[in-house]
Amino acid sequence: MDWLINLLPFSYTDSVVFIGAVILGVAAGVLGAFAVLRQRSLVGDALSHATLPGVCVAFIATGAKDASTLAVGAAVAGFIGAAMILAIERTGRIRPDAAIGVVLTSFFSLGIVLLTFLANFNNANQAGLDRYLFGQAAGLLESDLVAMGSLCAVSLLLVALAFRPLKTALFDMSFAGSVGLPVRLIELAMTAMLVIAIVIGVRTVGAILMVAMLVVPTVTARQLTSRLSLLLVIAGIVGAMVGSTGALISASATLPTGPTIVIVGFCVALMAILLAPRRGVLWRSGKLLRDRRRALNEGVLIDLETALHAGAPPTTEELATLSGRPASQVKKGLRDLDRAGALRTEQGRIHLTESGAGMVHALLHQRSLWSAWLEYGWTLDIPDAREPDPRDLKSSLGDDLTNTLLQRAREGGWTAS
Amino acid sequence: MDRVVSDDLAIILTAVLLGTACGLLGPFLILKRQVLLSDAVAHAVLPGIVLVFLLFGSRAPLAVIVGAGVFAVICVLGVELIRNTGLVHADAAIGLVFPVLFALGVIGVTEFAEGVHLDLDSTIYGEIAFTPFRTWEFFGLELARSLPLLGTVTLVNLVLLILFWKELKVTTFDPSFAKVNGISPTLVSRLLLIAVAVTAVTAFESVGAILVVTMLIVPAATSYLLTVRLLPMVVVSVLVAWVAAVGGYGSAVSLDASIGGAMGMVAAFCFLLALLFAPKYGFITRTIVRTRRRSLTAGPPPSVPEPAGRRSA
Repeated sequence: MDWLINLLPFSYTDSVVFIGAVILGVAAGVLGAFAVLRQRSLVGDALSHATLPGVCVAFIATGAKDASTLAVGAAVAGFIGAAMILAIERTGRIRPDAAIGVVLTSFFSLGIVLLTFLANFNNANQAGLDRYLFGQAAGLLESDLVAMGSLCAVSLLLVALAFRPLKTALFDMSFAGSVGLPVRLIELAMTAMLVIAIVIGVRTVGAILMVAMLVVPTVTARQLTSRLSLLLVIAGIVGAMVGSTGALISASATLPTGPTIVIVGFCVALMAILLAPRRGVLWRSGKLLRDRRRALNEGVLIDLETALHAGAPPTTEELATLSGRPASQVKKGLRDLDRAGALRTEQGRIHLTESGAGMVHALLHQRSLWSAWLEYGWTLDIPDAREPDPRDLKSSLGDDLTNTLLQRAREGGWTAS
Repeated sequence: MDRVVSDDLAIILTAVLLGTACGLLGPFLILKRQVLLSDAVAHAVLPGIVLVFLLFGSRAPLAVIVGAGVFAVICVLGVELIRNTGLVHADAAIGLVFPVLFALGVIGVTEFAEGVHLDLDSTIYGEIAFTPFRTWEFFGLELARSLPLLGTVTLVNLVLLILFWKELKVTTFDPSFAKVNGISPTLVSRLLLIAVAVTAVTAFESVGAILVVTMLIVPAATSYLLTVRLLPMVVVSVLVAWVAAVGGYGSAVSLDASIGGAMGMVAAFCFLLALLFAPKYGFITRTIVRTRRRSLTAGPPPSVPEPAGRRSA
């Protein structure tokens, strides 16, 4: 670990915190995905609170306050808490969110009782135990990094080895059961992984902020991909980036590490929700605007063609009356068409240019193909079971099928031979 | 100056009032599956408390309640906003919003308010044991200030429940039916969450966040195992909260442990008992019924066929 710490251009403490934050980010990102995708994000909240009595009991039992002893206690308590959530859910009446809430508050109450119990012993050594859940990144040691790193590596390896069963159980528990996978074991393994991530993280960022570390990477990655394998990789990377950026900012601005990491993470997740390609809120509203505009332009173009067919080239006002659209909309459409070089205006009357006529022709062709598809599409013998792309029927059907379709439409009927 | 009530009684009364206020609201949270939103709100108000302290330098209950209330509303609306994008599930939306608000609060505390009676322990763990010492004066009489505060909140919750009983009931069980009949489920749901937030904020000014969350969740969950109708569920939930309050205080005194923690433990114990032995939904009761039924079906077929139309449940 020494070489890595020396490699980083920071002071010793900052380097340790930096590496710790990266490990935590990767572990929480990848392992948290299995909770978030099953809509059990807040199990993380309950389990991080549930570690408190474990920490107290470990301290009472051994009298030691070193990180690894406390971590073992925390992990055991976390497992028990997780098992209780599963057990309470399984009795049927209590729903998952209530089960999570009950376990969270009960374990935390037990932890507080144990804390006061310890304080009554007047054991000076117990001081600081109550800070465990708030997390202290500055308290990380080099030996902690080794422990965290190996835990993280082992669990990532397990995920990689058991990827297929995990994936199957994650998306369809009943199917996984029906093909003979050990569902209970897999569910337990997923929870165990969550506990490992939490034990790695609680000491660094604290119980509440740990929730964000579990949720942020998966939410971000989910906006960017729909494949589980890719999602896990992206979540790990996002976790590492959020952890390292947060650690750097907190070191340079002397802010507390955990909260800074969480705020950075929240910003990243928010950006993903807003800007993600194809899914993001802003992306979708932008696409909606573009689609509306294209539909308007095409409509105005067809209206113009109709008007030209019917009589003299219209003025803008005449076109608006003819098409039945608001004048402002027609003007907007005409402006766009003019910019595309489809129009020619002579004394206020609108004509189509050569390229404009071409555009109308293509558009009309496309529309007649679409109505032919709607009426006779079912008669086609399509080799591909997929529906063709409605925006581009011609190329997704292929030339032969398109011609057949148009021919059937022209003949005005088709009878089964 | 005389204290109106003794210290012990002040603590027990505070806890009983808290139990009543929370026990009234808890069942609706359980039924609407919004249990964890209460936990989120309880943490998300931290920046409100810090901000009020930084701006006005005060921890006066009313200012704190207003400041915290604002952030409770921000938390609820933020969760709704993120969920409504359709990109993130409700639980993950909660998991995104409340940690970041809490983080802002923690930064506020560590950066600006360190060492000025505003440490995290007192807001999160709280200490109901100190309630008798924070007092208000009424006409020359000294009264633990948590009593009038929590008394008001309890009364407000009770009035809300009585006034909006029908609306709460119908939006809880059948939101679409409520909407068709002109009762907005969103509006009622917001009203409920604001009541929860105000209760939580008022209460953990005097007893700490975790006890509030416990009192909101555990008695109602216990009651859900014992009852099948709404009114009995609310009544039983309040009763369980009272048991937790009184029993918790008794055991805390005899064990010399944290009072809030002991109350939580007693509530959890009640839940465990209900989970195992509840007459209809208890684990052990169900197992017994199941084995009995199994032995019935496994045994020899009954010689007399059962009359049609009378099926054994």
